[in-house]
Amino acid sequence: MRTPVKKLVSAVATSIAVMGAGQVAADIKIGIAGPMTGPVAQYGDMQFSGARMAIEQINANGGVMGEKLVGVEQDDVCDPKQAVTVANNMVNEGVRFVVGHLCSSSTQPASDIYEDEGILMVTPASTSPDITERGYELVFRTIGLDSMQGPVAANYLISQKPERVAVIHDKQQYGEGIATAVRDTLKEGGVEVAMFEGITAGAKDFSSLVTKLRQADVDYVYYGGYHPELGLILRQARQADLDATFMGPEGVGNKDINTIAGDAAEGLLVTLPPSFDEKDENQELVQAFEEKGEDPSGPFVLTSYTAVQLIADGIEAAESTDPFDVAEALRAGTFQTPIGTVEYDSKGDMESFEFVVYEWHSDGSKTPVN
Amino acid sequence: MQDLLYFIQQLINGLTIGSTYALIAIGYTMVYGIIGMINFAHGEIYMIGAYTALIAITGLAALGIAWLPLILIVALVCAMIVSSSMGWAVERVAYRPVRGKHRLIPLISAIGMSIFLQNYVHLAQGSRNIGFPALIEGGFRFGAEDSFQTSITYMQITIFATTLVCMTILSLFISRSRIGRACRAVSQDLGMANLLGIDTNRIISATFVIGAALAAVAGLLLGMYYGSIDPLFGFIAGLKAFTAAVLGGIGSIPGAMLGGLILGVAESMTSGYLSGEYKDVVSFGLLILILLFKPTGLLGKPEVEKI
Repeated sequence: MRTPVKKLVSAVATSIAVMGAGQVAADIKIGIAGPMTGPVAQYGDMQFSGARMAIEQINANGGVMGEKLVGVEQDDVCDPKQAVTVANNMVNEGVRFVVGHLCSSSTQPASDIYEDEGILMVTPASTSPDITERGYELVFRTIGLDSMQGPVAANYLISQKPERVAVIHDKQQYGEGIATAVRDTLKEGGVEVAMFEGITAGAKDFSSLVTKLRQADVDYVYYGGYHPELGLILRQARQADLDATFMGPEGVGNKDINTIAGDAAEGLLVTLPPSFDEKDENQELVQAFEEKGEDPSGPFVLTSYTAVQLIADGIEAAESTDPFDVAEALRAGTFQTPIGTVEYDSKGDMESFEFVVYEWHSDGSKTPVN
Repeated sequence: MQDLLYFIQQLINGLTIGSTYALIAIGYTMVYGIIGMINFAHGEIYMIGAYTALIAITGLAALGIAWLPLILIVALVCAMIVSSSMGWAVERVAYRPVRGKHRLIPLISAIGMSIFLQNYVHLAQGSRNIGFPALIEGGFRFGAEDSFQTSITYMQITIFATTLVCMTILSLFISRSRIGRACRAVSQDLGMANLLGIDTNRIISATFVIGAALAAVAGLLLGMYYGSIDPLFGFIAGLKAFTAAVLGGIGSIPGAMLGGLILGVAESMTSGYLSGEYKDVVSFGLLILILLFKPTGLLGKPEVEKI
């Protein structure tokens, strides 16, 4: 991929392609919107790294319909208000395709603007079912839904035959959504949900919550939310000798949880998309990331790569850069991507997406359970 | 018995958190008591204290020093020095030039300072949560082995003890020392104190420095207690401490202590018996009630409106 000769060839190919399309073509702008700063910027890093790589590789291979892709990057801090500003900026920049956003609570308001303005959006990370429930034509994702992920987690818990489980969430769209899915499946499975409670995102003191968990005498605690809060809960639970196993969704599966929780992160259960970077057919791509000094193992790196690739494939299949034509092509086609074969249903969700239960370790590594 | 132990546990949790609110609230209350302005950048001074302490601890660890008391003392001293100079500089740069102008001007200047400091730390230290090492581990527990046990950790004891010591020193300082007496005089009547030959600028600087030093103590303690810090965590803590100061009667030092403890216990009882979701509702609800029925706060004395 990166040998000088190939580089030269691809550079020549690109320049020929650019010359060929010269008169007609403006570049195709791909908006990339996600958190570059703020408490969950780690996930943004994954997203930007995956999307940049895809743009780079597609351009090296001659671009899309002879035109180059250009990334337009914006920081939404995973804040719904900022996400709206970012979406408007994208409109002003003349972007017609967006990879993003990351947090469901940002994706939701931003997608309203994109849909109104005729911009196609592919979110590589937002798992809240609501996002595709509104009959929008231009909204797609390259990740599964909480309604798939929640039951995977809950069924694993049911299989462990716990006596009592507590379900905690951070009151945000993503966290509460998935926590509700877990609670409902647990109840159907006949497991007693001893507690279902929200915390405040950004809070630091969980001593009262931990005391309550100890009082409730639970075997498992499911947390719907992101790693900064769960890291603190784990650590404070360890200090108070709470004897329970914690579990969370992909929003907690991040090496930063180890810097906060330390040893207390050992044994945490996490549902994640399968490790796409370990698949044989992706090894060439993984190497390309490693040559750039980036880590492709984060859950959203290859989903973001795929989002860009799907936009490119969709444009080529539709032979048009009109987002509505591209959306139609995406719904009609079957695409081979690093995350597997992608087919879309009418809502813009993938027909199938697998989640796997992993056990997290205090050194930041993970091993699949069962 | 179980229920009692549970209650005691929540009380301990509340008093721990409340005493750190009190430490931060002192900064608000002293500044208000003397110049009648609310220093909204105080929460950020506290956050900077926590960051400095963490940098000091990391530095010592890199040097291979592992003797706990030394680490704590060095971290504490570094945090206090940096925060105090920060507090002094903030007053000098952002408040003194606008002192005596329309009362809204210092307030806006304070909010600007708060935003500046937050973003400065964002830039300098990154926006991520940074883990803070738990230096003091372990604790006592009470109650039967197989049922709910009340636990009190050494960290919680450290927090109580440190707060108690700081408050005692502060009270003695205010009531006995020359600067303390000057502080009281300035708070009663700034103009008159000036006429009587007190260097009021120096006294005002001193209150900023003292408040910042106590906030730094709270920063170190809370960093260790919670386990992570980020550039935004001063804001909410500042808001809570401000609530505590108003609750106890802004301008009154014993009021700040009382307000902090009441707020901490109210929060932990709400989490413990209702739901964590209502924690902030209760603390800010308390603030509204106090402002409605006793605007001077629990221990505040009615005085001429200054702000």
